[in-house]
Amino acid sequence: MIRLKYKIGLEIHTQLTESKTKLFCDCDSDYRKYEPNTNVCPICLGLPGALPVPRRNPLKLALAVADSFNCEIPDYMVFTRKHYFYPDLPKNYQITQYEKAGGIPVCLKGILRFFDPDKLLWKSVTLRRMNIEEDPGKTEYSEGNILLSEFAYLDYNRSGVPLLEIVTEPEIETPKDARKAVEYLLLTMEYIGAINPRLEGSFRVDANVSVEGGERVEVKNIGSTLDLEKALKYEIFRQTKIVEEGGKIKRETRHWDSIRGVTKPLRSKETEEEYLYFPDPDIPAIETKPLLMEAKSKEFLTPDKIMDKILMYGVSQKIAWSLVTVKPSAELFLESVRIGANPKIIARILAVDYKGLMKKSGKNIHDKNNWPKKEVLKELSSLITNKVYTYDEIKYNILPKLLENNENISSLLPERIEPSNLIIAVLNEEKKAVQDLISGKKEALDYLVGQVLKKAKGKALDPKLVRKIIEINIKKT
Amino acid sequence: MKKETAFSILEGLKNGSIDFEDYALKRLEIIQKKDPIINAYISLESEEFIRDRIKEIKDDLASGKKMKIPGLIVSIKDNISTNFLPTTAASKILENYVPPYNATVVEKILNEGGIIIGKTNLDEFAMGSTTEFSAYGVTKNPWDITRVPGGSSGGSAASLSYGSADLSLGSDTGGSVRLPASYTATVGLKPTYGTISRYGLIPYANSLEQISPMARSVKDVSLLLDVIKGYDPRDATSLNYEYKEFDEKKFKICVPDEFIEGSENPIKSTIYNLLEKIEGEGIIIEYGAKFDKLNYALSTYYTIAFAEAASNLSRYDGKLYPNYNEGHSYREMSENTRRNNFGFEVKKRILMGIFALSEGFINDYYIAATKGRRLIRDEILKITKDCIIAGSVSPVLPPKIGERINDPLKLYAMDIYTVVANLAGVPALAMPAGFYNNLPIGIQFMAGPFEEKKLLALGSFIEDKTGLYGIIAGD
Repeated sequence: MIRLKYKIGLEIHTQLTESKTKLFCDCDSDYRKYEPNTNVCPICLGLPGALPVPRRNPLKLALAVADSFNCEIPDYMVFTRKHYFYPDLPKNYQITQYEKAGGIPVCLKGILRFFDPDKLLWKSVTLRRMNIEEDPGKTEYSEGNILLSEFAYLDYNRSGVPLLEIVTEPEIETPKDARKAVEYLLLTMEYIGAINPRLEGSFRVDANVSVEGGERVEVKNIGSTLDLEKALKYEIFRQTKIVEEGGKIKRETRHWDSIRGVTKPLRSKETEEEYLYFPDPDIPAIETKPLLMEAKSKEFLTPDKIMDKILMYGVSQKIAWSLVTVKPSAELFLESVRIGANPKIIARILAVDYKGLMKKSGKNIHDKNNWPKKEVLKELSSLITNKVYTYDEIKYNILPKLLENNENISSLLPERIEPSNLIIAVLNEEKKAVQDLISGKKEALDYLVGQVLKKAKGKALDPKLVRKIIEINIKKT
Repeated sequence: MKKETAFSILEGLKNGSIDFEDYALKRLEIIQKKDPIINAYISLESEEFIRDRIKEIKDDLASGKKMKIPGLIVSIKDNISTNFLPTTAASKILENYVPPYNATVVEKILNEGGIIIGKTNLDEFAMGSTTEFSAYGVTKNPWDITRVPGGSSGGSAASLSYGSADLSLGSDTGGSVRLPASYTATVGLKPTYGTISRYGLIPYANSLEQISPMARSVKDVSLLLDVIKGYDPRDATSLNYEYKEFDEKKFKICVPDEFIEGSENPIKSTIYNLLEKIEGEGIIIEYGAKFDKLNYALSTYYTIAFAEAASNLSRYDGKLYPNYNEGHSYREMSENTRRNNFGFEVKKRILMGIFALSEGFINDYYIAATKGRRLIRDEILKITKDCIIAGSVSPVLPPKIGERINDPLKLYAMDIYTVVANLAGVPALAMPAGFYNNLPIGIQFMAGPFEEKKLLALGSFIEDKTGLYGIIAGD
């Protein structure tokens, strides 16, 4: 297969799930917990005479996001109406910020710098625009689609939830970079407190790909960052093959089928879309400066800033990034180091061992309440630095218990015991393993160490020390 | 002629010479007698509801609550949302629709002790100047039932004119309270844009319209204005403002030729006579001022109004409102619903509005109109800095039913003098100037933004001088 040059551009629709209110009314921005059509009011149902009044919180969050990516923020933003008839759109127009026809979006040009954890370096893509708009409701069709169905079931709980649409220039170089860029964007928005990207349906991506010599193809409906990478890989493969076989790539819009892992053509539209954009006469232009002041976006610890802080403590880039990707762990790191905990010990606990234990036991690593308190971490750190216990003693004996009780560790501290007697007992019992070890089977050593730890029944033992003593004993024999 | 003002009734209710219940129920009786012919109302409150309401008002009074209009009867145009009566905007598409909420102005009227007696007829979605385009029948002019009462707030004007209500709320998008006021010898004030909450007003053209007080006298209109005015956080176009204070009894009035010369002769002579009568005593009148942009006013106004209307009316597709037609798909359902339930005039305006916003045409129509609007606004602001503009409300006497609606250009031309205040966002008052062959003739005054008090002071001075206030037709 030949390797053709290609360029990727993205349109990322993110819900401001944490804005508390919808964009133009005080209904809940997190609609997921409600029975159908119970998170609604005259405004988000678009009833005649009800008027949209932009709520400050969603606007502030959107501006904070724009400011975090060094956007050119216009002095005013102007909402426009975009018209199309659809059951889930109560007014049959969406209030958005189209930059033509008199509209002014929240951001006109910015830079999305994102971290590539594989190559350990920063990359960037130009942002063309960010605009705020209202999410429509949801439709379910009895026959699967709008044309065939006799019935449509409508739920307007989502109607009016603030969406921030972020559009990049077509300059992303690989499907993996596209994925990393979106992940970094979502992480930043999470730090700002704008989104919980793990909520179902909290973001959607439309990607466009232009392979050298072909026209732009848009792929819609991508619901996860993993799917984004897959969809792009598939699309580049598909287009390259067409070019290879002497075909032409025509301009079209395709749909990502995540179950089959392929893109499919959407029924091409008979006519050009006509959205009748014009400025919404119900919403005067909104000054951005006062909102931006109120948003205090410069004070937010975005991933890049928090990464720099962590690196200052001498933590490796890889570990630092691992902390940054899980917001509570990064915050906890900084908090516990600030009260005197040892940075390297804490970084290792948070980024590697405790996180691993949480994942294994199915605990949500993004919930701050599942992590130990900073005081607990400080205590663990001083136990190790004061050589009361070794790191591994803490890791094997205390961290697993913290999963159950992360408030207070004094009751969890194991009694110290002398390992020699236990080791001798185990070596006497496990004759076969000892023979194996002598004949050179290294796995036998792990087994023996495990047996000793088991016998210790939760009392503090340093596995490394045990291993050393066994090795010395075997050599003696 | 019988004279009855809201102020005189309020006084009677206060001093006990008028009984709350007798008075209110008498209005229902009048409606039952006259409305089968006039057709001012689309829906009415029941006797029982009114009795309950009076009990509530009396309890409030007994507990010492201060209210501005306790016991006064108010009729409300049927494009203003009420959660106790259907709100149809005179369209079949909103048949049986009862909003789950009250418009801000309705809340204010209830809070000040008003009794809302019913919802009045209008041109469908306020699109018209004669109240002939209602899905619920034509409203007739109480002064001559072969003629129209003007529109689109014709039902409100007629309800006042035949004495079924003391106060009324209309809405004014391009003259919709002033034209009916002038055709029925009542008073209508279109306030400064942004000073009355639009929350709950079914939109026709959002950037132009204001809910507007109507009554049988200028003083009654000020009373109602005082009840409904004020900043409303539920309307983003609502302003945090105060009307300008006005104490001096000096007025400078200018009469640009363009605002009167094209009118029918009886209208011109009635207005000139009135102006002559009030000149002196602190009133200076200047003739011959220029407003040459009037030529562009109608096309500018209708382009903007239709564009906004097309957008506002897209929501009526059958999915959320009680009246709909079925179809095999969403598309069919919405097409059937809109085809069968919008009136002809509404469909026409939607189509023209879509055209004005379409790619390839938006620059020459909608965008051009917004530019024209700015020019007109600047010019009006300049003139009203120095004087109150006076002129005709309508270029013609109340037309015969059916006379105008078949010729759209003639119909739209009736609004030539009134649309200017909406384009400029300034306040404008229409009040009786006199009669010709027993047909009412109105005069219009337009002032600068927030100069409502000045306009009302002038109007009050004039009505005292002419005695043309509180007039009830046919009695």
